[in-house]
Amino acid sequence: MGIRGIDDFRFFSCLPLPPQRMQVLPMHCIYFITPPFGANIGQRYRSRSGWQRQWVVVWTFCFPFALCMAFGLGWSPNGVAQSVPDSQQLFYETDIRPILKTHCFHCHGESDHRESGLDLRLVRFMQSGGDSGPALHPGSPADSLLWQRVEADEMPPGNKYLSQPEKDLLRRWIESGAATKRTEPEQPSLETWTEEERSYWVFRPVQRPMVPRFSGSEAEREPIANPIDAFILYGLQQRGLTFSPPADRVSLIRRLSLDLLGMPPSPEEVTAFAEDPSPDAYEQLVDRWLSDPRYGERWGRHWLDVAGYADSDGYTEQDAERPWAYPYRDYVIQAHNRDTPADQFVIEQMAGDELVPLPWDRLQPDQIERLAATGFLRTAPDGTGQEGVDANVARNDVVAETIKIVSSSFLGLTVGCAQCHDHRYDPISQKDYYRIRAILEPGLDWKQWRDRNAKLVNLWVPEEKQRAADVDKELAELEGKRVAELDSIVNDIFDKEVMKLMEELREPARMARSTPADQRTAEQQKLMRDYPSLNVDRGSAILYDGARINEFNKKYDTEKTGISNKRPADRYLASFSEVPEQTPTTFVFARGDFQQPKDPVSPGSLSILDEHEAIPLDDPNLTTSGRRLAFAKLLTKGTHPLLTRTLVNQIWAHHFGRGIAAMPGDLGMLGERPTHPELLDWLASEWVESGWSRKRLHRLILTSKTYQQSSSRSGRSHEVDPENLWLGRMSIRRLDAETVRDSMLMASGSLVNQLNGPPIPVNPDEVGQIILGKATRDGNGILVAKQEDTRDSYRRSIYTQIRRSMPLGVLEPFDPATLSPNCDRRPSSTVATQSLLMMNNGIVIQLSENFARRVQREVGDDSALQIAHAWRLAFGTPATPDQLTNGVDWIDRLRQQLTKPTEGTALPSDGEPPGTLEAVQANHQALALYCQSLFSSNAFLYVD
Amino acid sequence: MHFHPCFSRRHFLAQQGIAGTTLAIASLFNHKAIAEPPKPDLTRRTMDLLPKAPHYPAQAKAMISMFMQGGPSHVDLFDRKLELEKRNGEKYEGELKYDNAAESSAKIWAGPWKWERYGQCGMELSELVPHMGSIADDITLIRSMNTGVNNHGQSIYALHHGRITAGRPVLGSWLTYGIGSESQRLPAFVVLTDPGGLPVLGTDCWSNGWLPSIYQGTVIRPQEPRIRNLNPPPHLAGKPQKAYLQMLQKINAEHLQGHPNETDLEARIATYALAEAMQSAASEALDIGQETEATHKMYGLDQEATREYGTRCLIARRLVERGVRFVQIYTSTQQWDHHGNIEKALPASCLKTDQPSAALVKDLKQRGLLDSTLVHWGGEMGRLPVIQNEKNVGRDHNTYGFSSWLAGGGIRSGCIHGATDDFGYNAITDIVHHYDYHATLLYLFGLDPGKLSFPRPGTVGTLLDGQPGQVVRGILNQPPPSA
Repeated sequence: MGIRGIDDFRFFSCLPLPPQRMQVLPMHCIYFITPPFGANIGQRYRSRSGWQRQWVVVWTFCFPFALCMAFGLGWSPNGVAQSVPDSQQLFYETDIRPILKTHCFHCHGESDHRESGLDLRLVRFMQSGGDSGPALHPGSPADSLLWQRVEADEMPPGNKYLSQPEKDLLRRWIESGAATKRTEPEQPSLETWTEEERSYWVFRPVQRPMVPRFSGSEAEREPIANPIDAFILYGLQQRGLTFSPPADRVSLIRRLSLDLLGMPPSPEEVTAFAEDPSPDAYEQLVDRWLSDPRYGERWGRHWLDVAGYADSDGYTEQDAERPWAYPYRDYVIQAHNRDTPADQFVIEQMAGDELVPLPWDRLQPDQIERLAATGFLRTAPDGTGQEGVDANVARNDVVAETIKIVSSSFLGLTVGCAQCHDHRYDPISQKDYYRIRAILEPGLDWKQWRDRNAKLVNLWVPEEKQRAADVDKELAELEGKRVAELDSIVNDIFDKEVMKLMEELREPARMARSTPADQRTAEQQKLMRDYPSLNVDRGSAILYDGARINEFNKKYDTEKTGISNKRPADRYLASFSEVPEQTPTTFVFARGDFQQPKDPVSPGSLSILDEHEAIPLDDPNLTTSGRRLAFAKLLTKGTHPLLTRTLVNQIWAHHFGRGIAAMPGDLGMLGERPTHPELLDWLASEWVESGWSRKRLHRLILTSKTYQQSSSRSGRSHEVDPENLWLGRMSIRRLDAETVRDSMLMASGSLVNQLNGPPIPVNPDEVGQIILGKATRDGNGILVAKQEDTRDSYRRSIYTQIRRSMPLGVLEPFDPATLSPNCDRRPSSTVATQSLLMMNNGIVIQLSENFARRVQREVGDDSALQIAHAWRLAFGTPATPDQLTNGVDWIDRLRQQLTKPTEGTALPSDGEPPGTLEAVQANHQALALYCQSLFSSNAFLYVD
Repeated sequence: MHFHPCFSRRHFLAQQGIAGTTLAIASLFNHKAIAEPPKPDLTRRTMDLLPKAPHYPAQAKAMISMFMQGGPSHVDLFDRKLELEKRNGEKYEGELKYDNAAESSAKIWAGPWKWERYGQCGMELSELVPHMGSIADDITLIRSMNTGVNNHGQSIYALHHGRITAGRPVLGSWLTYGIGSESQRLPAFVVLTDPGGLPVLGTDCWSNGWLPSIYQGTVIRPQEPRIRNLNPPPHLAGKPQKAYLQMLQKINAEHLQGHPNETDLEARIATYALAEAMQSAASEALDIGQETEATHKMYGLDQEATREYGTRCLIARRLVERGVRFVQIYTSTQQWDHHGNIEKALPASCLKTDQPSAALVKDLKQRGLLDSTLVHWGGEMGRLPVIQNEKNVGRDHNTYGFSSWLAGGGIRSGCIHGATDDFGYNAITDIVHHYDYHATLLYLFGLDPGKLSFPRPGTVGTLLDGQPGQVVRGILNQPPPSA
């Protein structure tokens, strides 16, 4: 190996690390500690653009990861401590506190009331003990109440006990004298985080690590394209692996197209690329597609997952529609296409409204966009104002869900766990949680809640508003006229009903009716009961004289439509906003219960990052509180350890199918440790320094050798690294839900490319499957939808309405984003419903037929040409001669089976019924089925 | 909030469950789970339809509900009222709630039909339902049903999912959520719709509401493709689809050769085989040609009037026999809503359903399935004791007292439960509200109405939804121990 061994690692740690501890570290935690020395990759790129000059220069000796990973893994958050060698000295802070924090602190330390008067947060307190006397006798577990209760599973209460390894650690620690690492503080302030917590990898500052270098001969053997490759190669070499050969050009262009655009390339693009002799053909392609508007649709969709975007409220059974949410979706697409720098993207989403001065009555396009951006804060499920919902619970749920969305999107942490108590695993205090809540509460004030309509921004200019008011007035007048006329019809009907009575009852009936119901005499009541048809009113009049009422309704409906047409079309925007001069105080809620407010808190971010006082209460220069703007600026200052790592990791995850840290929404203790933390940091710092350009980051990743590798599971890479954690090949991935549908639209030539606009409605059809179409009444008056065949039916999936209760049938089996409330990672399942969909679904069949028609149109009736063309459209690759012959034979056979036998031909010998189609139809049908088999195949549904 | 909209609706039969990666199929290939340390149970649950143990021993394993939409006239079929016969044509004295005031009269009306006593139990039923008479000793007739909401929609909702507004999970969804299904090849919850049209509430009748979408009812349509997505459209059924699958298999096999060790690709190939197996299981279940002529005759398949409904009843039996948990058979829109022309329309509706419904009970019994199969027959309302529309006699709605019958699955035989007042207007003795009915069904399936729950924003959702449902002890062979 051309790099120096791992023995050097300790020189680069700033704190001593017990040598024994290294034994418990999994391989992937130590490899990167070696300082990479080597020669030539810097020179290779020095002549290029700015970033390439930067990455060769810096090497920090304070490389934090070794240390924090070591401590991070000394215990694990699931309650199962990893084994620590028997000989090793155990300390409270490093070995025992995390266990007690998980299981015990909630009752014995963190809450105001300590059970049995016992506080376990400091060893000193354990020794002084609680109501039952001392809890700890150092040196003697048998005499320590703490050990007795834990060993007997009497503590903690409930059914989640300490695991055996955790118990072993506790026993050994007491036996060995219950040591602490350093002098304990006077008081265990909840937010005095330990060294161990502060040094957890994700809370350390982002340091720009030096890029591994390789010595001359090795560099020749393994030429690398950019720094990403250096980091990846370094990890591979630690495991005796190396890169796979580059993917062939056809695979590569298909991979790139599906990744960047969310649909396969056209055959022309494939051919052009495959035959392009220029050395930077690939780079040119990357650049071209990064400026294709489909890029924004594809990558905007990824962000919408993170934001939890939906076109309905959820929460209740009604799942009311959100007709004005889509401007946010369009903003996200545009921001991606324009390459809005990510810092600006964050600021606009968190605080776009704070950048637009009031009043909002003549908004400029850029201002409208900023307001639309804050739709990010309006995506949470919202049951407020719905029937049968406890208003206060629903309002507080909206706040809590919005915090979850903000924190998992920008902080990469499950801050929501600290709503009721300090986070069990991560250093997030309950107070931190409410500080973040205080950032949002001026706009989400649960005590002075604004309903969904009050929060809409009306985009009408004052003239339009006046016009609408005039129309409303006219409509009100019309309504008065209508009711008066209806009442006179009701009276006519009553008069007729009266005439059906015997003469002597008529006058009493008139009297009874003109008397209010609750003042009628017993006799009058009886009369109205005996002749129930006398009880005619506005609502029931239609049952008496349908013709007249229908005509009446028609007349007024026409008039009403005439007037309403003068009204300007609605133009709204679901934006986030604050009410000036209305800034509520935020309280910590005991156990998360809004009915138990405790201490007031000021806005702030996480105390572990010393950001808990970083946000002013009120910005005097703004009509709003300025809290969100301050928070967004804090996040985007460029050195925020959470924001930059989180965003870079999200982008990486979409390119490779797995994040550098595998759980993009949880970089905390419960998430998985990053495989390449130094690469993540390098990318984060590189990204910030080069101006937060998403497209530059894509380009950097896409032009790496790592990305361009073949996906083949060669013997060794597959054996050593079956999950491909170390990226010694590309991973094969199933297309996601939208890409499956969009790819069928594209390959079949059915795709309608049209950016932006209101969502395409979804509704249940006659059996309850959700399809694209408006609900209309069927012959029996029952509300059902029919699959529509309009231009909109063939637009990209991102434009289909996202009703939380009605996932589109053709997408749902392929694991679209969950919205609970947002989705930082989609699962990829393999279930029979997906296969049934590909076999039998009407849309799949229709698109297969479109596909066949396209093929026939473009290459004519020759089967061999048809098959060759279909393969190129579906897979990008040409069919092999064998596949061609097979296909031709197959189509031929099927065509014969499907064709109506002409007179004199023999019936099928297999006893099956003969075909029924004319020859032309049979041709088409056979080809369409062939096309459907291409759509259904693994070659189509997966990307190499 | 615990709402997982990914599960929210309308998956039609994800028998392997959803969520997670390469679930059941992957296990076929010994797909090893990623070796991660165990973590606290913060992840969402995987939803499947595998059979699950109930909360306590179950008496019923499956249920077939024959829903008589529109509201059969209980006072003409199941609940004889001598007072009506005595005071035929007189004015009714009390308050009545009408749906159609325009045509309303307060004139008491006794239908023209005769009554007979049937079976050893001597159950008195109308001459319009003689076949039901022949199963009188196998059923419990409840004469005191009450939902108390005076229109179809609300009352259908109440009986389907406990409340009067849309959006909640229906009974079949709850049962399959609670105890899964015995068959993993057939849909767990099947809906047999009438060729005459959908029920008046459309697809809401088999909505999974906010339960995961795999618990939605699967419609077996009256025409091909019988099950959407499970069956191909007619023009592709049979040979064309077989050819398609063969070609697909070939393309996939070649592709797999170029992708050694990709277990997910193998798993997906296997899902096509499983999909085919599911397809043929459904076709087999729907093939009533396998039944004897005697059976066909028993269900009335030899007669025009009963053939269609009888076929669906027979299919219901075949489905339950093959492990389907819940089958709902609908009549077409407002079939029983006899506001007018009742003298002709009521006998017609009875003719359509009487023999097949009775045959279903008899058939289940002779096959030893009745003990474990709960059968329900009834609508969302009954009718008023007075005439609506004197020119074209009918009866208006009544949800305050009406009749339904149950059989099998732990229900007493030859039993009459509850009673309405002298005119059949209000249930007055042993009233069975829709929530009592639901509590009783859950009890028979061994399910605790409080435990059978699903997380909802700010609360937990249940079928009873906090209503005071009581198990109707009087209709059970083995009622729960008294509290």
